[in-house]
Amino acid sequence: MSKKTDTTRRAIVGATVGVGLGLGAISMLVPIGALKPKKEVTPETEPPKKGDVFVFAEGDKKGEEIAFDDLPKGGPFVLAFPKDPKTGVIKNGERNNMVLLIRLDPAELSAETAEYAADGTVAYSAICTHLGCTVSDWVADKGDLLCPCHKGIYDPRQGAKVIGGPPPRPLPALPLQVGGDKPVCAGGFTSPVGVVAGLEPQGGSCAV
Amino acid sequence: MYRWLDERLSLSRFNKKFLRKAFPVHHSFFLGEITMFAFITLVLTGIFLTFNYEPSSRLIKYMGRELPAAYASILYIDSLPFGAVLRSVHHWSANVMIAAAFLHMLRILVSGAYKKPREINWLLGLALLGLSVVTAFTGYSLPFDAFSVTATQIGYGIGASMPYIGEWVSQLIFGGEYPTLHSIPRVYSLHVLWFPLLLMALIGAHMLIMIKQKHTQPTYAKKVAPGKILGVPMMPQQGYMMGVLFLLYLAVVFFIGGSYIAHPVEAFGPPTASTPAVKPDWYFLWIYGILQIIPGDLKIPLPFGAAINSEFIGGVLVPGLLGIAAVLLPFLDTRKTKQRYMELPTRHPVRTSVTFALIAFLLTTTLAGWKQEFGFSNGQLWAIIIVGTLATYLTSYLILVSYWGKAPKGEAGELEEA
Repeated sequence: MSKKTDTTRRAIVGATVGVGLGLGAISMLVPIGALKPKKEVTPETEPPKKGDVFVFAEGDKKGEEIAFDDLPKGGPFVLAFPKDPKTGVIKNGERNNMVLLIRLDPAELSAETAEYAADGTVAYSAICTHLGCTVSDWVADKGDLLCPCHKGIYDPRQGAKVIGGPPPRPLPALPLQVGGDKPVCAGGFTSPVGVVAGLEPQGGSCAV
Repeated sequence: MYRWLDERLSLSRFNKKFLRKAFPVHHSFFLGEITMFAFITLVLTGIFLTFNYEPSSRLIKYMGRELPAAYASILYIDSLPFGAVLRSVHHWSANVMIAAAFLHMLRILVSGAYKKPREINWLLGLALLGLSVVTAFTGYSLPFDAFSVTATQIGYGIGASMPYIGEWVSQLIFGGEYPTLHSIPRVYSLHVLWFPLLLMALIGAHMLIMIKQKHTQPTYAKKVAPGKILGVPMMPQQGYMMGVLFLLYLAVVFFIGGSYIAHPVEAFGPPTASTPAVKPDWYFLWIYGILQIIPGDLKIPLPFGAAINSEFIGGVLVPGLLGIAAVLLPFLDTRKTKQRYMELPTRHPVRTSVTFALIAFLLTTTLAGWKQEFGFSNGQLWAIIIVGTLATYLTSYLILVSYWGKAPKGEAGELEEA
């Protein structure tokens, strides 16, 4: 056999194997797509919606419904999860549902904050917009919200505006209304909860 | 027996090639070995941990308490004879591995051993250091206690802060928006299977290339026997030294691990709604410090509504730029001939001073991690970091130049080698 045919045969075998491997590699893209986790929505992980009441997220009264009288005037705040009053399901299966409830002097609230407040009580997402820790510390002398992870400070009277530290945007607010002796959810969060790599997050993360 | 095996496996050829490899004798040459001993200890104690650990964050009843299964299984491990010590040794060894790998890198850096022909091993070493830190971080999340959940949340957030791809990358690693029920199995697979396998492969390549290219020689070798390779053979001398050092390492790390339980899971408690008062391990403190002092209004807008935010700058950009600088180093600071001897740090004042400045930067940014405790303001901390880093560079440079004079144009001895 001449040298030339030998190389041609080798080229054909190489091309065949190459095409096979290439197509195989492309078909692997489908299982790689399956690596992206599926978001499962259960009653416990549903976002807060209009009419939800709130329960304590921690402490002795964990799981009990929160009334206005449970919230000390002027702070500190209380960490809470929403609860569907009809089914009785506490929505603590999704960390992003955690809110902080704080009862303030209605006269101190900015115009925008007053819109979301019910009888001076406001609710904000408790998930820090910096890196997703729970905003769980209270600056008693100033009445501010402090995230202990990287010392982000928010002012609850001015729509949880960032007044110190690294957070890139205010905490999303959760509109409230008066439902008898209890604060009740009046709609979804005003902006996406948690860490967002965008500049100006738009719109709410859940249905009203 | 030996002859039987030798006839079939050519053992004498293997001996000649690998077991007679010359190891230069120098006190700074043990850092890489200590890194490897720590890795071996991590694998062995890690196997014990996987036998008893349950990778799930589902709530179960354990000893009358409702706890995440992973957390409960760690309490079980701690209750086994020597269980808590082995877990503690695992955690301490991770600290030692990262520390030793970093010091090993500094040794290579100040002695110029990253230059031709060892650029590939420098890159492999950087990959090993980075992968060690990532592996240690995935290990953080597994106990699923209050501390580890918070720390992992921050890691998730740092990943998610990357413009465009962040959300996708973070969800891929953490199995959805951390913490979900799918998070622990995924991180567990990465921590006990894929990252260790990758580490083993990279360590193997690192070793083989080192044997092929040989160590850089300490400068005394040039005086004693110019042009010759000086050192003790792998077997028996270096092997005995390694054995003794490994036993010594085990003794020290078991003493420390037994006396000071690393990551006391019982004390941290199961995950809580509020954030526990925690600080990351020491090797993350500098990033933790930087994250605290970057103001939130520092934003760089990108097209399509994305942006570079403070958390991306502190968590990804600053460490990333340092990493890129390290990757480019052997291609910017080059030499024509193959390097045989370690360079003296005193003869390279700029490189040595940059190394000191890097250490000063890492220490001052670590200091920023105590922002609240010391009551520093952002401005003060920025001043400390910038002035501290620059002053360290200038002081080191001036001292080096005035004591040892300016570096000669060509490295001494380079001509003889060529």
